[in-house]
Formats: sequence, structure tokens, C-alpha cells
Amino acid sequence: MEEKELTPQESMALIQSMIGKSRKRYSDNSFFFLLWGWIVLIASLTHFYLATYTTYEQPYIAWSLTVVGGVISGIVGARQGKNAKVRNYSDKMYGWLWFSLGMAMFTIVFNGQLINWNTVPFILLLAGVGTAVSGAMMGFKPLQFGGFAFWILAFIAFRQPENYQMLLLAFGVAIGYLVPGYIMKANFRNNGV
Amino acid sequence: MGFNQLDPLLHSQLRLAVMSLLISVATADFVYIKEQTESTAGNLSVQLDKLSTAGYIEITKQFEGKKPKTTCKVTKKGVDAFDNYVKEIQQYLKP
Repeated sequence: MEEKELTPQESMALIQSMIGKSRKRYSDNSFFFLLWGWIVLIASLTHFYLATYTTYEQPYIAWSLTVVGGVISGIVGARQGKNAKVRNYSDKMYGWLWFSLGMAMFTIVFNGQLINWNTVPFILLLAGVGTAVSGAMMGFKPLQFGGFAFWILAFIAFRQPENYQMLLLAFGVAIGYLVPGYIMKANFRNNGV
Repeated sequence: MGFNQLDPLLHSQLRLAVMSLLISVATADFVYIKEQTESTAGNLSVQLDKLSTAGYIEITKQFEGKKPKTTCKVTKKGVDAFDNYVKEIQQYLKP
């Protein structure tokens, strides 16, 4: 870029072009949707299976997988942040959105005993918020659709026993996380957007 | 009409480009700014120092393994200066 005396028009055009360049192109976040989609799908189906078809007394053991998910998410997220050449305000918002939802989900599950382990409807509601807002931020319809699916399933889950809530959760992450996650991944692979 | 009242720190092509870029992001690293402004490392480095000395941007230098990584972000003072600059430019552009 050469140094030269700017006219007002040139100044304005330069400002507009630079702001246009930094306009957000969304990064491929499919990794996290796929990671958590599979973890929750496996954990909830295992929980359902152990509780329904076996006499095993601790079916919730399957949820230990979420600890692994938390560690992997932390490492991958930190690495992505460190390697990113530019960090937009929307990246920051996106990170805080999911961090806050994660904390809220953890709080609900940690205190689950106090609400007779009826945690799933609340988890579905929070997942719906994160998915729908992420979809709106990215302008990505499959995630917004997933958000609505979570909310409908939460309505149903409030009326089901804990075991069947697990099936609803598995169904929820399949259409709310996994389907949009794979579409997002394919979009990035094919078009880079 | 002259440009005497305009902030001389911003009324320079490369510094204005840098500020316009930083104004819309949380942080950006040196390589990204260099690519987007199509500038040379030497010139960009000098202009970033000027903006930093004026308190318009904050520069953080870190090491990623053995590679240095310079990250820049605009400060409150920089945002205010940029806003004023844009307002003044708009005055000139008024028919």
C-alpha cells in the first residue's frame, strides 16, 4: 500500500473497503457439533439401555464421556483461538454463548438430585437456545431448525419418565447437532463457506 | 479545502487502513493486517508503532513456540479518534 495524500472520497472508500474485508466469514465449527452430538447420542442411548434392559444400578456412568468431551473441547478451542489470525466480536460472542450454556447445563446436572434427575428437558431447552442462536449468527438454517426441534422435544420430555427422556435427548442431538454438523462440514469442504 | 483539522495520525493511507480493519474485529495479528492492507512488514511495523505510541491501538507480543506473534487491538481512545475522523470526513463530503 503506497503512501499518498488522501481525498475525502478516497478516505471513505478506503474505510469501507477495509471494513468490508474484515466482515465475518464464519469458520467451520462443525467439529464441536459433531463431537458433542456423538458424545451425547452414545451416552444417552447407553443410559437408556442400561436402565431399561439391565439391572445395572448406575446407568448414568455413560455420562462420564462428557468429561472427555469437555477436555477435548477445551484443548481444540484453545488451539483454534491461538492459531486464529483474526478474532471477530462474533467469535467472542459465540465462545461465550456456549461457555455460558455449558456452565448452565453443568449446574443443572450437578444439582440433578434436587429435581429428581429430571434434567433432560432443561438440557434440551438450553441446547435449543445455543443451536438456534448459533444458526442465526451464521445465517445457517439447519441449526435454527435444530433449535426448534430441541424446544419441541423439551415440551415432550417434561411429560416423560427419565428413561424415555434419554431417547428424546438422543433424537434431539441427532437432528440438532449431528445433521447440521455434517451439512456444515460438507459445505465447508465443497465451497469453503 | 484543506485537511488541516483532520487527525494526521489517521489521515494516512496505511494507518487509516489498519484502523478501519481493527475497528470491526476484536483482535487481529500482524500477518493478517499485512495481508489485508497489502503492505510491507517494515512499513506496517513503523505505522503500528505510531498508532500504539498515540494510544490508538494496543500491541501484544507473544511467542508461539519459536515464532513471534504480534496481536493488535484498537483502544477506546482509538475508537473515539476514528469516530471523529469519520465525522469530519463526512462534513467534507456533504454536498
